[in-house]
Amino acid sequence: MKKVLFVLLAISIAVSLLGTQKLVINSYMSDPAPKKVFAELVEQFEADHPDIEVTVNTFAHEDFKTLLRTWLNSSSAPDVVTWFAGERMRYFASKGLLEPIDDIFKGGFEAYFPGAFKSACAYGDRIYFVPQSWYWWGVYYRKSIFEKLGLTIPINWYQFLNTCEKLKEAGYIPITIGTKYLWTAAGWFDYLNMRVNGLEYHLKLTNGEIEYTDKGIKKVFEYWQQLVDAGYFINNHTSYSWQDAANYLFTGDAAMYLMGQFIKDVAPESVKDDLDFFRFPVINGEIGLYEDTPIDGFMIPAKAQNKKAAKIFLEFIASKEAQEYFASNLGRLAANKDVPAPDAHAQKGLEMILASNGVMQFYDRDTNPEMATAGMNGFVEFMVYPERIDLILNNLEIERQRIFK
Amino acid sequence: MKSQKWVPYAFLALPLLMYSIWVIFPIIQTLYLSFTDWDGVSPELSFIGWDNFKLLFQDPYFKISLWNNIKWLIGFAGISVPLGLLIAMLLDQKFKGSKVYKTLMYLPMTLSFVVIGQIWSWILEPRCGALNSFLGIFGLKSVGWLSDPNIVTYSLIMAASWRQISYAMVLYLAGLKQVPKELVEAAWVDGANGWKRFIHIILPMLRPATVVAVTVSVIDSLRAFDIVYVLTRGGPFYSSSVMANYMYIMAFNNYRMGYGSAIATVQFLITLGFIVFYMRNVLKKEEAL
Repeated sequence: MKKVLFVLLAISIAVSLLGTQKLVINSYMSDPAPKKVFAELVEQFEADHPDIEVTVNTFAHEDFKTLLRTWLNSSSAPDVVTWFAGERMRYFASKGLLEPIDDIFKGGFEAYFPGAFKSACAYGDRIYFVPQSWYWWGVYYRKSIFEKLGLTIPINWYQFLNTCEKLKEAGYIPITIGTKYLWTAAGWFDYLNMRVNGLEYHLKLTNGEIEYTDKGIKKVFEYWQQLVDAGYFINNHTSYSWQDAANYLFTGDAAMYLMGQFIKDVAPESVKDDLDFFRFPVINGEIGLYEDTPIDGFMIPAKAQNKKAAKIFLEFIASKEAQEYFASNLGRLAANKDVPAPDAHAQKGLEMILASNGVMQFYDRDTNPEMATAGMNGFVEFMVYPERIDLILNNLEIERQRIFK
Repeated sequence: MKSQKWVPYAFLALPLLMYSIWVIFPIIQTLYLSFTDWDGVSPELSFIGWDNFKLLFQDPYFKISLWNNIKWLIGFAGISVPLGLLIAMLLDQKFKGSKVYKTLMYLPMTLSFVVIGQIWSWILEPRCGALNSFLGIFGLKSVGWLSDPNIVTYSLIMAASWRQISYAMVLYLAGLKQVPKELVEAAWVDGANGWKRFIHIILPMLRPATVVAVTVSVIDSLRAFDIVYVLTRGGPFYSSSVMANYMYIMAFNNYRMGYGSAIATVQFLITLGFIVFYMRNVLKKEEAL
């Protein structure tokens, strides 16, 4: 026993003499595909920096969201955490829980990333967030089903309703969605609001400057209700996670799913090529085309133990090589502006975004976290009980007034 | 002997210290936080008096959660205790393989609520889950066990009771061992039929087991969380929420630590009532011994 202890002691002394630094990364990349690619990236980093010993702790996405707050406050915070750009990052930055990282970008933020990303990664005039990848949202659909029924891509709302109706008549579930974790419903809200009322209105709403009982919002739900009343959404969606609901698309029972590009992460090989997307249909021709393009990335807690190693890691993450590796293996778009779209699918996504008139992140990334929970609960309630819409919006308005006082 | 009066206290000192650090202190802190607007993130907080509690009793979702806890209380104790008794009565007979049955019936008790939640999420899955497939054999329509806001709480109680039944069963099996055989046989000789023997002899003899089973079920139902969290997270739109779950969402999802603490305080006071009742019962029994 003594011998073992001695050897352990000797090793630990040797290690500390060699100056090994520790680096703890807490990650929400729990789906198999991103988890694997991220592990490979970390391996590459370790090969480049043998003096840094990396530990990656992976948490299920939904758990991560609630745990982060605790980590950021604890005295033994992780050194690097994955997170979302925009309001959800700013919430923590504004409380002084994040480490500014301006100094890791040699030549400034814009030397690495598109200038348009800066506001989503900054709080005040400091940068707190390294974007890794971003993706687009779209209506994902099964090409084979559309071909079989001779359906074309719907461009406007009328055509979209028509497509849904034909799919329903043919025995398919027109639209699948899993609302157990609420946020999927926010995708519908975002798009309908951006298509009906435009970007500026949507931005004001997420900033808490527009009443939830406003005429514009009511109109959004009128459009949404057309889909609910016609039974175009899958039944029992409140008991499915987003992945459960995606299965209906993969088995060919459902035809469409409004979802982010990451749906490809969980799609089986056999249907990956049959899965394509189209731009959310136009509702009002006078309003521009706006899209949701969430940015994912990393940040350093203010209470991290090994900030030096953390910054070296984020420098690596921001590099063209690391960004390219992650994006190309997952079909996402790299945040680094020197990395081209990795494949034709991503190229199509990139072109759709480049041709759009403006972008948002996503409802729960753009608005206050508390408002987001209340709002998304309301959206799901509406999808089950559309007749309660006035009550739901009144409640949301009460919440808005309390939260954005 | 007298000089050693301090001995029990010396032995209790360490546990008491730990109990103070990990139980009493957090309770006091929660009470304190319930009067503040702390968001769980900021270093500063301000004292807002009774505001959280006032808000709480106007909050429609808190009312749903409280009401659901009452459903849990009645359903949980109402299902698991009688069924546990029934199964215990059946398994108390000596028959071939009774030990195997006892073990099988006891198995759910060995699983954690998280595992049970996972199992029931497959049973209750709307389209190809076990329960709906079973109903399908008889041509019955599938039910949205976890998606229909009107029945989701009952589905959760059903899942949780599955485990609690085996707990009640074990309590009753132990209790049945205490029932003197002579007494039951004497009643039989006196001409009491099975039902009468059960009602007038066995059930009164099982009273201590019943008290424990009911109170433990009631307390468990008040602190229900795991199954709700795993199966529905309180959804759809809080229709299956219980107080513990609502507190968790408020405190950790919505960064409203003060408000969450107020919910915890209300839950604590309600549970305390039942615990005091239970402990008095237990202590009385101990004194009787």
